[in-house]
Amino acid sequence: MESEDEMQDAWAGTSDDEFQNEEEEDEDSDALASDDEDDESDYGFGFNDFQLSTRRPQTIFTVLSEQDIRQRQDEAVATITNFLSISPADAGVLLRHFKWSVSKVNDEWFADEERVRANVGLLEKPATSKRKNVKEMTCQICFEVHPFEKMKEPRCGHYFCEICWTGYIHTAINDGPGCLTLRCADPSCGAAIGEDMVLGLVSKEDQQKYMRYLLRSYVEDNRKVKWCPAPGCEYAVEYQAGVGSYDLVCKCGFSFCWNCREEAHRPVDCETVNKWILKNCAESENMNWILANSKPCPKCKRPIEKNQGCMHITCTPPCKFEFCWLCLGAWTDHGERTGGFYACNRYETAKQEGVYDEAERRREMAKNSLERYTHYYERWATNESSRSKALADLQLMQSVKVDKLSDIQCQPVSQLKFVTDAWLQIVECRRVLKWTYAYGYYLPENEQTKRQFFEYSQGEAEAGLERLHQCAEKELQTFLEGDSPNSSFNDFRTKLAGLTSVTRTYFENLVRALESNLSDVDISKGAVKSSNSSKASGSSKARGGRPKSGSTRSGGSSRSGEEMAHWSCEHCTYVNTTATSSNVCIICGYPRS
Amino acid sequence: MSSSGYGQKEKVLSRIAANRLQKELTEWQVNPPCGFRHRVTDSLQRWIIEVHGAPNTLYEGEEFHLQVDFPEHYPMEAPQVVFMQIPPLHPHIYSNGHICLDILYDSWSPAMTVSSICISILSMLSSSTVKARPPDDDQYVRNCRNGRSPKETRWWFHDDKV
Ligand SMILES: [Zn+2]
Ligand SMILES: [Zn+2]
Ligand SMILES: [Zn+2]
Ligand SMILES: [Zn+2]
Ligand SMILES: [Zn+2]
Ligand SMILES: [Zn+2]
Ligand SMILES: [Zn+2]
Repeated sequence: MESEDEMQDAWAGTSDDEFQNEEEEDEDSDALASDDEDDESDYGFGFNDFQLSTRRPQTIFTVLSEQDIRQRQDEAVATITNFLSISPADAGVLLRHFKWSVSKVNDEWFADEERVRANVGLLEKPATSKRKNVKEMTCQICFEVHPFEKMKEPRCGHYFCEICWTGYIHTAINDGPGCLTLRCADPSCGAAIGEDMVLGLVSKEDQQKYMRYLLRSYVEDNRKVKWCPAPGCEYAVEYQAGVGSYDLVCKCGFSFCWNCREEAHRPVDCETVNKWILKNCAESENMNWILANSKPCPKCKRPIEKNQGCMHITCTPPCKFEFCWLCLGAWTDHGERTGGFYACNRYETAKQEGVYDEAERRREMAKNSLERYTHYYERWATNESSRSKALADLQLMQSVKVDKLSDIQCQPVSQLKFVTDAWLQIVECRRVLKWTYAYGYYLPENEQTKRQFFEYSQGEAEAGLERLHQCAEKELQTFLEGDSPNSSFNDFRTKLAGLTSVTRTYFENLVRALESNLSDVDISKGAVKSSNSSKASGSSKARGGRPKSGSTRSGGSSRSGEEMAHWSCEHCTYVNTTATSSNVCIICGYPRS
Repeated sequence: MSSSGYGQKEKVLSRIAANRLQKELTEWQVNPPCGFRHRVTDSLQRWIIEVHGAPNTLYEGEEFHLQVDFPEHYPMEAPQVVFMQIPPLHPHIYSNGHICLDILYDSWSPAMTVSSICISILSMLSSSTVKARPPDDDQYVRNCRNGRSPKETRWWFHDDKV
């Protein structure tokens, strides 16, 4: 394969011609069918591959308070007033017209001042002088006669009495933000009504409304500034520079996507989020049962309430069956104890045996498509509720439990930062994991290599996070319950801090890999193919949830399959990958036996 | 369309509105717009106006009736103007009497008067080259069945050439 593009086409199955090369085709089917040696090795490709190729420049944002916004507005007005030698009110009219872009005002003004004046309604020569000796006038709105001092005009010569102007502006303000571009009351006149005239006439209440619209216009008309979507939050966020992810954290603590203003959704893109949200709305009636917080124990059938964040559920005595909330399988089938493969994230279509007639097949397909969606939706939704629970736990930790822990374990609070760090990480990872399910739902079924890699990585991420979540939730509890320092607290610290750091790295890399749409997966696959190696393999011994094929790394000769395997630490049970640590446990530092 | 109105929350005219309307009415009596006649009623807040199709136009010899309802804050807010009974067949006038004319809605200005509205409407009629309902008449009228005021419609103004 010469190029990445070609590779992707081939794997997306868009062009059968790409498969003309028999050798390649064989390679592919071999990879899926063969029952080879050291099959674990194929899954060992750590995310190191992605770090160099997909690290993106940071996107930079500034969070703006109301005061910051007003200050920016004042600065813009001052600049324009200065450059164009016009009044601040006129500068305001221009800035609002050109969406608060100082440079645009400048450019347009100096390109064609006359045209700009006509468009925004700024008259060059006030038409005031011609009525100098008038003592009284009839207002053309109320038809009353008023002394001349009570008549006002916005420099266009259209005099109306103060009461009528006030009523006119009041009506406009109460009609909405259009009051910011209000024009003269004479229907044939386009003269702009600036903020000096507005604020000089209307009531305090109207002044406040007008100022509010003025503030909002800076954010709402400006493509580089948006309000934080959190309810009640008054901060706005300004985009400064950079490309890539649009996720950011507001000063109120809410994290959201600057682009679509949905909650933060790395690693999936805005379009996928949008599709997914629409899908969820469309299916919401079918899915209500999923959100129920109770399921029957798979062993004793009694209803079990999920009241913890992690997915490891233990039935109440005497049953005490330990199972996975998501797949209802025995917990012993999860995680390190079975060799590091966590596979309840995987969706497998029901076997379609003995489906004969077309109608039945259609029904089966419809059922499958709902089942498939249900699978992803449940995991998405459960991770979301797990995230909210973790967020609440984090707050509880910060407000009460850290102090308590500090008392019991005789540790200064400053030494307990690892606990809140762990919880912060859990919250973030639950969020990422949640969105990987939307990613998985939309990852085309025919992109097998990607799917396998994705499911494997997601499974690992989930397993790692479960370990972390469980450690922070359950193991921490034992140290909160005692009344004197526990000698193993330092071991616990090492373990939790280690899990936090490993999980953080794993998720960061997962996010990057998914954001690059797993493009490197195809490259490494390509390398396998062209090298004509037969290392890629699957295993028929593998249990159902396991990837049947994986790709090996590019230029794999220097790192054999053996090296890429997992090994479980005897001391702390953490499953290390040889890619990151081949001889010493990354968590506890215990040497590999 | 009956003359019972459109369920506009009839608030009494403000003092300013009543003063201005009184003056407009006086002015009308002295100097009525050509082709219109104000039908005397006891209400200042609702005017009924006869419209006579201008000579040498499609509407020559025809008579129509406009109903003009004034809001509390007239003239800051536009009056509601509709044709009663059988409205003229015109591409901007719906069979329920609603008129698609910008000055009655978005482009209203308090410096306009009933008289200036009448002149605009007559000019709209006089420039018509075809006697027909707007293409979306059925749908629009169906949507207004619950007595919606034309002021609640979001108008897309038909282009000026009829
Ligand atoms: Zn006046
Ligand atoms: Zn004017
Ligand atoms: Zn916020
Ligand atoms: Zn987005
Ligand atoms: Zn049980
Ligand atoms: Zn499971
Ligand atoms: Zn260890």
